[in-house]
Amino acid sequence: MSAEVELQNVSIAFGNFYAAKNVNVKIGAGEFFSFLGPSGCGKTTLLRAVSGFLEPSQGKVLIDGQDMSGIGPNKRPTSLIFQNLALFPLMSVADNIAFSLEVRGHDKKSRRKRADELLDLVALNGQGDKKVHELSGGQKQRVAIARALAVEPKVLLLDEPLSALDLKLRQKMRTELRAIQQRVGITFIYITHDQGEALTMSDRVGVMNDGELEQVGTCYDVYEAPCTPFVATFVGENNAFFGKVEKVESGKVKVQTGGSSFIGQAGLGLDNKNYKFKAGDEVIMFVRPEAISLKGNSKKAQNSFSAEVKTIEFEGNLKNIFLRSAEDVDIRFSVPSSSDTSGMEPSKNVSLSFSQDNAVVLPTGALALD
Amino acid sequence: MKPNLAIQAFLGLYILIFFLYLFGPLVIMSVTAFNSAEFPAITPWECFSFRWFNEGKIAYDGQRLAGLVTDRPLHEGIISSLIIAAGVVTLSVPIGMAAAIVLTQVNSRLRTLFYSMSIMPVLFPGVIIGISTVVLWDRIATLGGDGFISELGRNGIFLTILGQTCFISTYCFLIFVARLQRFDTTQEEAALDLGASQSQVFLKILVPYLMPAIGSSAVIAFLASFENYNTTVFSILSEQTLTTVIASKVRLGISPAISALALVIICLTLIGAFFYEISRRSNQRKKDRENKVKMFSEVSENRLVEERPKFFRIPKSIFVFLLLLILAVLTWQQLIKNNMYGAECVEKAEASKKSNFADQLKLLQQNAESVETTDESEGNASRSNEYNDIFGDQNLFKDFGGFDSDKNEESENGATRSNEYNDIFGDPNLFKNFGGFDNKE
Amino acid sequence: MNSFYRKNGPVIATFFLVAIIFWLIFLIVIPQLYMLDLSFRPNLPPLLRGGPDDVYTLTHYKHFLYGSETSKDAYNYVDIGVFLDTIITAVLVTVINLCFCYPIAFYIAKLATPNTARLLVLALVIPFWINELLRSFAIRILFAGEGVINNILLELGLITTAVNFIALDIALYTGLTYAYILLMIFPLYNALESLDTNQLEAAKDLGSSTLRTHWRIVIPHAKAGIASGCTMVFMLTAGALATPVVLSSPNTYWFTQLIYQWFNMNDNWSRGSAYSIILLVVSVTFVLLMMRLFKVTIGEVVR
Repeated sequence: MSAEVELQNVSIAFGNFYAAKNVNVKIGAGEFFSFLGPSGCGKTTLLRAVSGFLEPSQGKVLIDGQDMSGIGPNKRPTSLIFQNLALFPLMSVADNIAFSLEVRGHDKKSRRKRADELLDLVALNGQGDKKVHELSGGQKQRVAIARALAVEPKVLLLDEPLSALDLKLRQKMRTELRAIQQRVGITFIYITHDQGEALTMSDRVGVMNDGELEQVGTCYDVYEAPCTPFVATFVGENNAFFGKVEKVESGKVKVQTGGSSFIGQAGLGLDNKNYKFKAGDEVIMFVRPEAISLKGNSKKAQNSFSAEVKTIEFEGNLKNIFLRSAEDVDIRFSVPSSSDTSGMEPSKNVSLSFSQDNAVVLPTGALALD
Repeated sequence: MKPNLAIQAFLGLYILIFFLYLFGPLVIMSVTAFNSAEFPAITPWECFSFRWFNEGKIAYDGQRLAGLVTDRPLHEGIISSLIIAAGVVTLSVPIGMAAAIVLTQVNSRLRTLFYSMSIMPVLFPGVIIGISTVVLWDRIATLGGDGFISELGRNGIFLTILGQTCFISTYCFLIFVARLQRFDTTQEEAALDLGASQSQVFLKILVPYLMPAIGSSAVIAFLASFENYNTTVFSILSEQTLTTVIASKVRLGISPAISALALVIICLTLIGAFFYEISRRSNQRKKDRENKVKMFSEVSENRLVEERPKFFRIPKSIFVFLLLLILAVLTWQQLIKNNMYGAECVEKAEASKKSNFADQLKLLQQNAESVETTDESEGNASRSNEYNDIFGDQNLFKDFGGFDSDKNEESENGATRSNEYNDIFGDPNLFKNFGGFDNKE
Repeated sequence: MNSFYRKNGPVIATFFLVAIIFWLIFLIVIPQLYMLDLSFRPNLPPLLRGGPDDVYTLTHYKHFLYGSETSKDAYNYVDIGVFLDTIITAVLVTVINLCFCYPIAFYIAKLATPNTARLLVLALVIPFWINELLRSFAIRILFAGEGVINNILLELGLITTAVNFIALDIALYTGLTYAYILLMIFPLYNALESLDTNQLEAAKDLGSSTLRTHWRIVIPHAKAGIASGCTMVFMLTAGALATPVVLSSPNTYWFTQLIYQWFNMNDNWSRGSAYSIILLVVSVTFVLLMMRLFKVTIGEVVR
């Protein structure tokens, strides 16, 4: 059984500080939905409102169409997996998993049976009698998942549960989480500041900043068609060229930035329509590092500029090249490690280009702090 | 930080002196419990005996000095102390726990006020807590008429429980606060989220977590209540507890029976500490074993080799024990050699004291004939006061001033004072006898 | 209040509230307030309480300052003397305790190996499980005219006649220092233990002498612990009763003994209350002044 979760105009205030502001989103039954945002953006607060630890100051949380206001966390059909997992250290693994059944008065035998089933599900068979502190980090993770699933919740809420794990394990758990979600078929609401996690696991992503939901969409949409400068810079890397609109011509926008002018696409707004610009508007043009190439390599390239190489960074599969353009804009572009970068020593000038189709023009707004 | 040798030696000496200061008085007091003399002292040593643990003695002058076993007031005091301690534990542990939990829930401004109020009783002199409890309840009892309330308000045990709970709750509170500081509150949220009711969260998550604190605060509360004097002496009214019995004993007369009692308490403490240490070590070992199992799964084996030769290790404490044993045997031999042990010795000492006493009585009578009657009555009075009011009579104190000064007084002031002195410290010959103790060796 | 009930559930929340109100109001606040009230009233037999004679008066406080109406002295030299004596001695005992305990606490916290440290802590605790009265009694045996110390001194030829340590109050001071030493060591130990050993090494590395390291690094770090230990020792010493009962010489009184006398021997509860209030107010004020002087807050002190 899974359920639809809807947030209607949810605002949560602590004193005069808004942790969440006018959040509207509808998460479908059986969907894997992620809230993505930097720490302090209010995503955990939102999750606590869904699980019932907080009441929204305004607006409503609906689960399966039912208003949840006044219903405590122990009465909602949701289960929360905490950031620190919050396993009960004084209980055995099986007792942890069967805790929700224990408080509902199930007898010992049925509790044990259910615990064993769930241990099977998370590939921990036979570990039920261990103490929590005897498990490794990944195993604890699985116990937390099993515990949350024991009462067959309709919605599973996950609050950055992978953040304590090391990189390899994190990647493995991502796949596993996704697999478990598909097996049990319930709604997962996942919270993370790691765009990699959000993009690999989720059906849809909601990007949050400063308590507001900036964009909701599929992973592809969010990456390729960001609605706001924040989304453009928070999800993946982006080069930002600040400038003024010179003219608008059949969907293409010509932007005057420093000495040169580039042509790009007008971005999509939240209403799913292209932004309408007119000459003189302050805008930002975003170009992904992988869209930039050395001049001459691509025939389609219509925007070109020259820049001075600052440093080259080796990152396994990619090389990141940092440059500064003639207009003092910091540029970053990436090439596969195997490609030849022999001509690009620091302090050398190179010519670069990018295609009009890969440049997105958005109105000015806050950028993500890296 | 490794200090150099001189500092290290100095530090070692300092620590030695410090612990000598801590334990010296207790050791000496313990030894005096075995001296059969009426005054707790090592010198002069009369006889080695267990009389102060058993029946005590009835002195030749009719003074009755109870030993531990025969001391009825003491037994009654212990019983009421136990009742009070049980009451205090049952009240102060829940109070401390409730206050500590609520402290974690209130907002920061209220928290400061609440915290300050909670710790106030520790800073208040115990005397004041006792007095305030008594005056309040006396008033309540007066207003309450003849019924149950007036009974309650004038019941020393009830008042003592309340008075002690007032500040012992703070001890418990502080223990719980310390434990709760390390509590991960998301555990409570997790339990709630899993469907537990608030009471279930409390009983199944919080209470098990607080169990060690509950245990230790119960022990602390028990001990603090058992030991308390300052509050109890006011709030107990006409009843007696262990501490007030001890205090009145100390006040009435210094008797080795108190040393014997102290020794019993010291032994109980040592046994308690011993078992505490044992259980702690076995817990530690269990933890180490668990860690080792975990380590095996994570660490390559070559790091885990060196633990084998444990088989041959002799615990250092055995040497200390052996040393103590040897010392005890040597002392014992000396006691036997000098015929300072057993009923025979005690009888001899008593006999000599009795004859001494008779002599002195004679002397006193002679004096009485020559000296004015007022003096005589004074002398008699001070004798009867001797054990009853050591604190009351200022002059008497000078008598403890010492052997030599007394001798001087004897020549000046007549015999009465030195007689008293002799009564207390026994035969001067015995002292010489003890002095020979070392020489013979 | 509502959220408090919601957070804890009705049963538990009620239990919490009852326990806390019982403690804070009925055991702490009301008795003290009533005692304060009583200290301003004349000494009356219980039946006359609430009657026409039961009016507010300052007699008891006046008595403390000026003595009884029949006395010829301008001030009550005896009581004030005892009071000042008590406070000054308590301060001295506190300072001595601090100096005496600091090296030990530092050794246990920073220099000893964990096992030694644990054993030492246990060894420190053991004497304090034994009743204060009995500990004082042990000191009394030690200092008696015919006690061990006199005998040793005589044997060594340092003195020719036994010293009356009790009449000189030496036994009392030793006993008071002995009585609350643990309450000085533990706060010190806790404060020193939290000091990062790296800081000591860094100071040494930068060429600081041991004394300077202590003065500039260790003591500032342990300030709260020092304040806490001093507060506890001072308050407990000033309010001590058991130790003075056993060890004070007959011509020395401790202020609590005066209170005891008014209360139990003379049956003057109002005056006993007034004297208690004086002791409480002065010692608390003194502590607060000291805390202001050394810039520590009450929250740091009792931890």
